[in-house]
Amino acid sequence: MNKLIIDGAEYQAQDDQTILDVCRQNGIEIPTLCYHPAMEPYGACRLCTVEVIRHGWSNLHTACTHPAWDGLEVKTQSPAVYDVRRTLMGLFLSRCPHVPVIQNLARQYGVTEPPFATDDPDQKCILCGLCVRVCNDLVKANVINFSDRGIDRQVGPPFLEKTRDCIGCGACTIVCPTGAIDIVLEEAGVYAEKPLGPTAAIYVPSLQAVPRVPVIDTDSCIRFRQQDRSNGKIADACGVCQTLCEANAIDFDQQDEILDLTVGSVIVATGFEMWDPKKLSQYSYGRSPHIITGMEFERLSNAGGPTGGQILLSDGSKPKRVAIIHCVGSRDHNAHAYCSRICCMYSLKHAHLVRDKTGAEVYEFYMDMRAFGKGYEEFYERVQEEGVTMVRGRGAVVDVLPNGKLRVKGEDADLGKLLAVDVDMVVLSTAIEAPHDADKISALFGLGRTADGWFAEAHPKLRPVETNTDGVFLAGCAQGPKDVPDTVAHAGAASAAVLGLLDRGEVVIAPTVAEVNRDDCVGCGDCLLVCPYTAITRVEGKAQINAALCKGCGTCVATCPSGAIMALHFTDDQIVAQIDGVLAWA
Amino acid sequence: MADLYRADVLISCLHGQSADLAPTFRQEIERRGMAGEVRVVETGCRGFCSVGPVVSIQPDGEFYVNVQPADVPEIVEETLVKGRPVQRLTYKEPTTRKSITKYDDIPFYGKQMRIVFRNTGLIDPQSIDEYIAVGGYEALGKVLTSMTPEEVIEEVKKSGLRGRGGAGFRTGRKWESTRKAKGDVKYVIANGDEGDPGAFMDRSLMEGDPHAVLEGMAIAGFAVGANQGYVYVRDEYPLAVKNLNLAIQQAHEYGLLGEDILGSGFAFDIGIVRGAGAFVCGESSALMQSLEGKVGEPRSKHVHATDRGLWDRPSCLNNVETLANIPVIMLRGAEWFASIGTENSKGTKGFCLVGKIRNPGLIEVPMGMTLKEIIYDIGGGPPRGRKVKAVQTGGPSGGCIPTSRLDLAVDYETLSQAGSMMGSGGMIALDDRTCMVDISRFFLEFLKDESCGKCAPCREGIKRMLEILTAISNGDAKMGDIDTLETLAKTVQAASLCGLGKSAPNPVLSTLQYFRQEYEQHITEKFCPSGVCRSLVAYVVVDDKCKGCGLCIKVCSQESIAGSAKQPHVIDQATCIQCGACFDACRFDAIQVIPRSQVELLPKQEVHA
Ligand SMILES: Cc1cc2nc3c(=O)[nH]c(=O)nc-3n(C[C@H](O)[C@H](O)[C@H](O)COP(=O)(O)OP(=O)(O)OC[C@H]3O[C@@H](n4cnc5c(N)ncnc54)[C@H](O)[C@@H]3O)c2cc1C
Ligand SMILES: Cc1cc2nc3c(=O)[nH]c(=O)nc-3n(C[C@H](O)[C@H](O)[C@H](O)COP(=O)(O)O)c2cc1C
Ligand code: SF4
Ligand code: FES
Repeated sequence: MNKLIIDGAEYQAQDDQTILDVCRQNGIEIPTLCYHPAMEPYGACRLCTVEVIRHGWSNLHTACTHPAWDGLEVKTQSPAVYDVRRTLMGLFLSRCPHVPVIQNLARQYGVTEPPFATDDPDQKCILCGLCVRVCNDLVKANVINFSDRGIDRQVGPPFLEKTRDCIGCGACTIVCPTGAIDIVLEEAGVYAEKPLGPTAAIYVPSLQAVPRVPVIDTDSCIRFRQQDRSNGKIADACGVCQTLCEANAIDFDQQDEILDLTVGSVIVATGFEMWDPKKLSQYSYGRSPHIITGMEFERLSNAGGPTGGQILLSDGSKPKRVAIIHCVGSRDHNAHAYCSRICCMYSLKHAHLVRDKTGAEVYEFYMDMRAFGKGYEEFYERVQEEGVTMVRGRGAVVDVLPNGKLRVKGEDADLGKLLAVDVDMVVLSTAIEAPHDADKISALFGLGRTADGWFAEAHPKLRPVETNTDGVFLAGCAQGPKDVPDTVAHAGAASAAVLGLLDRGEVVIAPTVAEVNRDDCVGCGDCLLVCPYTAITRVEGKAQINAALCKGCGTCVATCPSGAIMALHFTDDQIVAQIDGVLAWA
Repeated sequence: MADLYRADVLISCLHGQSADLAPTFRQEIERRGMAGEVRVVETGCRGFCSVGPVVSIQPDGEFYVNVQPADVPEIVEETLVKGRPVQRLTYKEPTTRKSITKYDDIPFYGKQMRIVFRNTGLIDPQSIDEYIAVGGYEALGKVLTSMTPEEVIEEVKKSGLRGRGGAGFRTGRKWESTRKAKGDVKYVIANGDEGDPGAFMDRSLMEGDPHAVLEGMAIAGFAVGANQGYVYVRDEYPLAVKNLNLAIQQAHEYGLLGEDILGSGFAFDIGIVRGAGAFVCGESSALMQSLEGKVGEPRSKHVHATDRGLWDRPSCLNNVETLANIPVIMLRGAEWFASIGTENSKGTKGFCLVGKIRNPGLIEVPMGMTLKEIIYDIGGGPPRGRKVKAVQTGGPSGGCIPTSRLDLAVDYETLSQAGSMMGSGGMIALDDRTCMVDISRFFLEFLKDESCGKCAPCREGIKRMLEILTAISNGDAKMGDIDTLETLAKTVQAASLCGLGKSAPNPVLSTLQYFRQEYEQHITEKFCPSGVCRSLVAYVVVDDKCKGCGLCIKVCSQESIAGSAKQPHVIDQATCIQCGACFDACRFDAIQVIPRSQVELLPKQEVHA
């Protein structure tokens, strides 16, 4: 353990620590521009200069590179230090007069105006080399480097030309202290899906996540991307999270696991997906960053979202007028005929949030307000009292005006007039629909679906959570649109049904099930395809029927080309005998 | 064994016009049927650049200067056949015009002491036999057979040898740290980057006596425990690369490099790496980056290269001149070496003496010689009619020492205390026609181009200092600018990452220290007394001194001077570009430099063509 004196007080340091490390650890402020904890110190900006006294000799050194040796005395605020930093900030400010970080630092050292003539007022790069180092040392993409020498030095890709080697990871933009690098999305593939800004590659899924631990999105994680891109050749890119994680909890080797579980019952709660409003062009979705769906609004207003919960336009300003359009894609024969049920209430919630967070004027275009639940009507009234303008009538068209504003046209049915409102932001309360892969789930469990695509319950009134496949239950929006209270109630019912089965420990089945004569079965598999209850599987090349699932419908019996299946209690012999009996009697 | 010859013709100066000399000599000797008796040897530099190419005939030592191919038949006829000197080609003492026939009698050489350059110009650098004949590799033999590494280090420490690359670090200490550093693999690196413009000591050594460098490296390798050495040579020195390569090959053939040298069990090999020629690549951490194949850019080095250098292994980096001293020290002993020089600076130092001086060239003098002796006795003083104003030492980032202090002894400490430095041995005599603002600007211009640009103070600071100096010499500066300049200079000095930036302000700071009033004159009077800063000056004829000789009319490239014979001439201010050629040419001091602002006050003169 090394002991050193910093600004008159004694501190302890490890052998591998620098003076800057010790200062940071103890809250002693030292300005830096070229330092980043994830990378080797570089010593280029010289702003972290401090006075180091060793063996009686005083010298200026950079804190980021100087080891915290035993017996050093360090002064972080001496006049010599101040003078150097002041002159340096003068040089930086003259180079980059309009960069806020530089302006603020310069002001701390009493420099408010650039002391020298500025060559390029748009210059933002201070040549700290962080982007170069992150790109080469961490990302290992080797795309950005220095070119030229001395005052002509600059950073950029080879020959300052666009390069396909850039993986667009954005690491350089993140480490750049002055915001000198922009990422231009040419093929916005990845981000088109997330117009409200990419999330980090490692993130806590939601603030309420259980367990609340971060996950790595391997599609955007630099390490995984570099490995995929180079066929495994670049296996050690980035890893910043691992370097910085004090708990040593990052394990890149963790793999997705496929678990085989044997269970007695299944609750299908696959929920809903958002319908894509691009399918109806009158809403102009995708033509302006300010036309967003209800789901995107949720993200924008979320404290964990890109703006920390503030409702902002893309330029960072607050909207002054917002329109919310109900029933986008719902109750519309060009999209979904059904009512999505949840949108009225969430739209009211959105209206309330806009009023509350921005004070903007809100126009709510609705056909009729479906405030069906407990306390919902009261909420509707409250939102009206908050000054939201309710326009009864479908918001029919959204136009993007040349000045970037949005014009919503629709009919005010109460006034019987056509109406046009110019707003800054439009929130489309889009329909919800069955997930795109619902057909796969349906085939897997033998579930029926109603005409609108949701999974069919066994009986709309009497068996709302059961399905036609025994042991398979539905919960939530999988069965049809529901808000959270209804979803929870529905899910409670499904759980109770499952618990009933578990509690009994056994199931009672009708004796009329099909059975395979293994000697006759040729293993053609035709029966597997026709069984509506997914009761047949292939075991050792032959069909086998799960008696618990079989409803004894007989479809397989009729289908089997080798006549290898018979329905117990309805064997051919029995039926023929019955027919004979009937005929004999006649 | 080499054949015996009656005489050797040594041709020095392997550059420029001398290329045809050797073939011409060989042809002529062949023609006279003396091919078996007389040998023609192309040797390295003799340092006497003002009179090159030079030819000397051994064993008698006739010394001919400015020799052209056309002179060859006469030299062969007179000296080689008849044994008489060719008076026409001998060196003439500048003041007395007395002819000096023998090398040893020439004052340029008389005051010098040749230890490092003991062989350059005297032996054929491409022949290991000649090197061995003058005692080469004897030191290596002695070290390997009779000394321990610790004894070698002790000897070097006792000799007081300090790094000739500029910083003057004690060589023995550096070797000791490298020896003590942990690690199985260590390296010895010879720094032959020599980035100072105008310096060519290291080049002369590598070209003219490559084996001395290799021998020094092998001894260093033995002392520090390294089996591999590298010579980092500037790519602009192809002959050095060629001669070093040849020397390495020959040393291998003689078993003086490679496995089990001289049966001692010690193995040492040397590789040559050609540098891309950036000034900053001479800096140790940049050099090692460059050796590793990376961009030659300095790194912060709180851990010394002796502990973690090339490929993070202990590395001992020495300048080639430092290394060339080693064999002599080993042979003649530390006491002998330590008896030369001053208290803290031992031995000799090579300098490239240039500038406004009669005998420019490469010289080697004992440490402690005064600047005055060097400039006047060896250099022959300034040309006719000029006065020495200052001496610039230490290369581009050195400093200027005024005439008043020319009695300073040349050693590491004295020069740094005077605001300059030893550097790698540049020495430029500046005369009264040199403007100190302009000279700072000149060096800063070089340093601006050579700054690697990594660290902010050096990159941005030099640019701003240069802007201020330019403003001063253009007459656009205000008084406060000198303070700003000084603040900048001190920050760049204190805060830069590597030696380049730390020493870059030296030209500014030293001229400010000694010639501040000249800076102020530029600002307050808008006048450059040396006549260099063109926007501030005008050249006029002083009527009562002008003899009307017309010399100035001849030298003026702008045809701006008119006047008839024996009548005072007139300079047309409208077309004059203030180049000062007339001023330099006039033998009667009849041209005067005046502030530009006074031109309007001049009586209107008619200019007659
Ligand atoms: C914009 C908006 C705002 C809303 N605001 C409110 C509100 O304020 N209050 C309120 O009560 N309700 C609100 N709702 C409704 C609420 O979101 C739903 O009631 C609720 O999400 C339904 O829950 P769920 O579990 O049925 O389905 P979901 O929330 O859709 O969950 C289904 C889950 O199953 C997963 N899944 C799908 N397929 C598979 C598969 N094959 N294998 C494994 N997993 C699968 C999905 O990834 C998803 O995580 C809002 C809805 C929207 C669109
Ligand atoms: C900018 C810069 C340029 C340098 N150039 C050279 C050079 O060309 N040759 C050299 O030997 N040393 C040069 N040096 C000094 C080296 O860094 C190093 O100190 C030296 O080679 C060590 O050898 P020595 O101890 O034998 O002098 C330079 C230093 C700096 C800061
Ligand atoms: S001082 Fe100059 S040359 Fe040295 S690192 Fe800084 S910018 Fe590069
Ligand atoms: S932070 Fe230390 S030099 Fe830039």
